[in-house]
Amino acid sequence: MAQILAIHSFRGGTGKSNLSANLAVALALQGKRVAVFDTDLASPGVHVLFGFSPEPGQATLNDHLQGDTAIEHCAHDVTPTPVKQAHGRLWLVPAAMDSDRIARLLREGYQVEKLNDALFSLSEKLHLDLVIIDTHPGINEETLLSTAIADCLLMVMRPDTQDYLGTAVAIEVAERLDVPAIRLVVNKLPAHFDPEQVRERVASSYNVPIGALLPLSDDLLTLASSGLAILVYPNHPWSERVRALAADLNASELA
Amino acid sequence: MATLLALEPASLRKLLKRGLRQGLERQDLASLLELEWHWKVDSSEALDLLAALEQRGWFRCDGDHWKTHLG
Repeated sequence: MAQILAIHSFRGGTGKSNLSANLAVALALQGKRVAVFDTDLASPGVHVLFGFSPEPGQATLNDHLQGDTAIEHCAHDVTPTPVKQAHGRLWLVPAAMDSDRIARLLREGYQVEKLNDALFSLSEKLHLDLVIIDTHPGINEETLLSTAIADCLLMVMRPDTQDYLGTAVAIEVAERLDVPAIRLVVNKLPAHFDPEQVRERVASSYNVPIGALLPLSDDLLTLASSGLAILVYPNHPWSERVRALAADLNASELA
Repeated sequence: MATLLALEPASLRKLLKRGLRQGLERQDLASLLELEWHWKVDSSEALDLLAALEQRGWFRCDGDHWKTHLG
């Protein structure tokens, strides 16, 4: 059965989707079969990083959750060439980007259990090793489900006081739901911040291991979600640390 | 899912959490009831609990798996 890795943040703008996409590539580069679910249904975006935009007739997660489209028809192969060469595979289950579809989803809602069943159904059909859930920030029904079913929860935050407070709430929820493994990722760390001080503050704020400290990067800002940093800038410190995180998750059998 | 988060005691939360994903096979359910409540799966206490959960629509046997339905 595939491992479920939920990537979550309490607040928006943490770089959660960017990390989801790049970590998916890093793990697929290790030869894994990975699917990324965009469950940020109110503000989807991870598809942009894969250069994928649903064409008319191409199904999205919304078509499954609010319709009768089979989940395997909502999964699109976005395997980059280096991943193919490494014998990995990568699928994306995007959320709809049309404003009327987003509005319909917010208006009518859906059975969140259908998302649960979709994850495991796709996992079996595609023989996945790993499902990465790119969640909506904050706490709602989808994020509670994603947290409850995750084998590992990656909490992404910036070194910002609001993020420190919000992340504490999300970790409390995760601990109440008995998530087997939680890792904290501090992203967008300014160069003038002392990493050791950040580590100490994180350690004193939460009893959760740090997965990675990822630097704030002008190169990533310039890339502006138009590609996958791990492939465009493979030697960049940000990419190297994401690969190290992937290797750590893999070694811990969490991914 | 907010119901799951609010539930007490923790053992009830654990049972309903285990009913997510692909659900619980009868043997897994029996093991969990034994571990958390020290009840046999066919004891009157266990049957009462399962009936109460089913009545609320939270937990029921779908085919050969017990699954949680919380939203």
